[in-house]
Amino acid sequence: MASRLLKLTRLSGLTKRSTCTDQFRLNEYSTKYLGNREVTFTETLSFEDSHHSKAIPIYRVTKSDGQFLNPKDDPHFDKEQAMKMYKSMTLLSNMDKVLYDSQRQGRISFYMTNSGEEGCHVGSAAALNPSDLVYAQYRETGVLMYRGFPLSSMMNQCYGNEKDLGKGKHMPVHFGTKDYHFVTISSPLTTQLPQAVGSAYAFKRDGSKKVVIVYFGDGAASEGDAHAAFNFAATLRAPVIFFCRNNGYAISTPTSEQYAGDGIAGRGAGYGIHTIRVDGNDLFAVYNATKAAREVAVNENRPVLIEAMTYRVGHHSTSDDSTAYRTAEEVEEWKSKDSPIERFSKYIIGKGYWSEDEDKAWTAQARREVLKAFNAAEQIKKLPPSEVFNDVYDSLPRHLQRQAGELKEHLKEYGQHYPLENFNKH
Amino acid sequence: MTILTRLANNGVQGAMKPFVASRHASHFNFIPSVADPSLGETTKMNLFTAINSAMDITLDKDKTALIFGEDVGFGGVFRCTNELRNKYGSDRVFNTPLCEQGIAGFGIGAAVAGATVIAEIQFGDYIFPAFDQITNEAAKYRYRSGSEFECGKLTIRTTWGCVGHGGLYHSQSPEAYFSHTPGLKVVIPRGPIQAKGLLRACIEDPNPCVFFEPKILYRSAVEEVPVGDYLLPLEKAEIIKEGKDITLVGWGTQVHVIREAAEMAEKELGISCEVIDLQSILPWDLESVANSVSKTGRLIVSHEAPITSGFGAEIASSIQKECFLNLEAPIERVCGYDTPFPHVFETFYIPSKWRVFDAIKKTINF
Repeated sequence: MASRLLKLTRLSGLTKRSTCTDQFRLNEYSTKYLGNREVTFTETLSFEDSHHSKAIPIYRVTKSDGQFLNPKDDPHFDKEQAMKMYKSMTLLSNMDKVLYDSQRQGRISFYMTNSGEEGCHVGSAAALNPSDLVYAQYRETGVLMYRGFPLSSMMNQCYGNEKDLGKGKHMPVHFGTKDYHFVTISSPLTTQLPQAVGSAYAFKRDGSKKVVIVYFGDGAASEGDAHAAFNFAATLRAPVIFFCRNNGYAISTPTSEQYAGDGIAGRGAGYGIHTIRVDGNDLFAVYNATKAAREVAVNENRPVLIEAMTYRVGHHSTSDDSTAYRTAEEVEEWKSKDSPIERFSKYIIGKGYWSEDEDKAWTAQARREVLKAFNAAEQIKKLPPSEVFNDVYDSLPRHLQRQAGELKEHLKEYGQHYPLENFNKH
Repeated sequence: MTILTRLANNGVQGAMKPFVASRHASHFNFIPSVADPSLGETTKMNLFTAINSAMDITLDKDKTALIFGEDVGFGGVFRCTNELRNKYGSDRVFNTPLCEQGIAGFGIGAAVAGATVIAEIQFGDYIFPAFDQITNEAAKYRYRSGSEFECGKLTIRTTWGCVGHGGLYHSQSPEAYFSHTPGLKVVIPRGPIQAKGLLRACIEDPNPCVFFEPKILYRSAVEEVPVGDYLLPLEKAEIIKEGKDITLVGWGTQVHVIREAAEMAEKELGISCEVIDLQSILPWDLESVANSVSKTGRLIVSHEAPITSGFGAEIASSIQKECFLNLEAPIERVCGYDTPFPHVFETFYIPSKWRVFDAIKKTINF
């Protein structure tokens, strides 16, 4: 602190009409109000005009053709690692196609694809430890894919059958698994952000050296919970990585109607958070940034904000037709000009890890595996109706025991009016 | 919030007491309970020291336990966390930024990661920014994940109820909002012994709990409280006075109001009242209330919160179904009016012992 004080004294010595009072106040404001940031008085009336300042640059490692801009940024994935990444992304996109179509056929009730954002998921997941806790929004299935969560478990969740870890309570794509350290997704946007901070704080105390990563979209960042989380993480020094997928849209709302500042990254400094903006379609940039962020989080117990710039290629969900608010040409342009999967495939082919023939065979195999898991999940019955009452509390309170009894009695007499054939008996 | 907080706090602390007393007398008399002798040695505590004792025991026993909220570090605006930071360190007892949704969300997350969490919302009136986190998240965590994840180690403490001069935002009783949320436990004590035992039970319970502390009792309620650790059962009402003509049900401060009304009715009208402290709002003890009403044939429920959709409505409706053949008069509810909680009119707003007394008389004469 002594050196800081000296510095400030020197600094205020430069101010024209500096006085003892000025020094005292500048020192107070700096040390107590502004986190030891140096501050001076100014006699010039001038607003900070964010519209004329430059945006935070977008960190990238490769060009759209997959070539490294600076060879030192190549993380040098070995074949196994690189192929795991590639297969995670492509398996995900094959699963997206099958499940999207199956929803159109009415076989599952709802689905949300991940097209265009696979690089964000896999690049970040690969930079974490497998036991680092993940809080997701809902468009981060690639993280689970990378961690090895089985296709069958994903299908079981979408069908809500008796093998679904969530026991059929939640809508499709609301995945969650303790074994893979992926907290069950919930629909209310952004609620997971302050929760991620709380978990990170607990990890900081328990000495496990785990970090938490929390994903969210550019729209979710407008919720009050985002503000809460950024501020809590910084003041309470939580080892958490905030990973924002800025894909240009929140359902139909373009980012121009979502915020007027320098994106989401532009907010980081205001909270005192280390911040970086990355090219979300460049898996290497996402990987490098997340890896560095993890170091900051775990070694300094400080949060990091990563804003990954990307584009939502698919519709928002199966309940949305995005051509109602954007042109098909816009989508096509993104698809053809900058696909994270294609960018990465150039890398693996260039390295000699992969060939076009292998790719064809793999695509066919991936599709087969997805369909196999899908068809198997469809055949599995759902838990019995009494499951309605389980897991509300750790055990059944008296009123729920009574209500479970009422449902049982009701089904005895009126069971023929319900689809009991799809559910187990006990 | 800060200025109002200070005002309300000073009032409770007694700095403004002569002035308060000159406006109107306290609307209830606190009669100390006697702790079960099996709980061991006792000492005089008021409600805030009993709460402090429960948290002290928790921090001492459970190294994962955290306490946080607005201004809890220096001891809290109601002194509930007094000395705990000095004793257990600022990584376990700490201030958060001023943001209720953040406090609740942060608490959920810490509980998900295995910490025991005692989060404070400074006034029950300011719990609404956290309503989404509490009702959509905390309450549904276990259910929606099929028990893959849960936040059962979360307890949210907050102040509750009228305080004589709290106006709209330092007086509310929001329990009914939370009673409509499966997955939560909602608990309200009537005095220091119950506060300590029920808070410890909430902290140890493997479900998220909202614990409302009647702030008017923080200093005014003093009794002999066991110094050691003990848990009082959740989901259980307590019959604090047996009677045969009519059942009176309340919780929190209102228990003292209905007890006084019961004594007035006995003395002046010769009516024998059974007085029940519900204690747990969710899940609530239907059996105890139904057994009592089956015996007495009459029921009055009384709470400070507004009458429409207050928790009294749930009790009245359930008892009407359970005890239809035993009821000899309509179930009466003596509650706050369907208005915001007013400042200078508080004495006319609250369900006073005179209103309860009148309801007893009318129900008996029905």
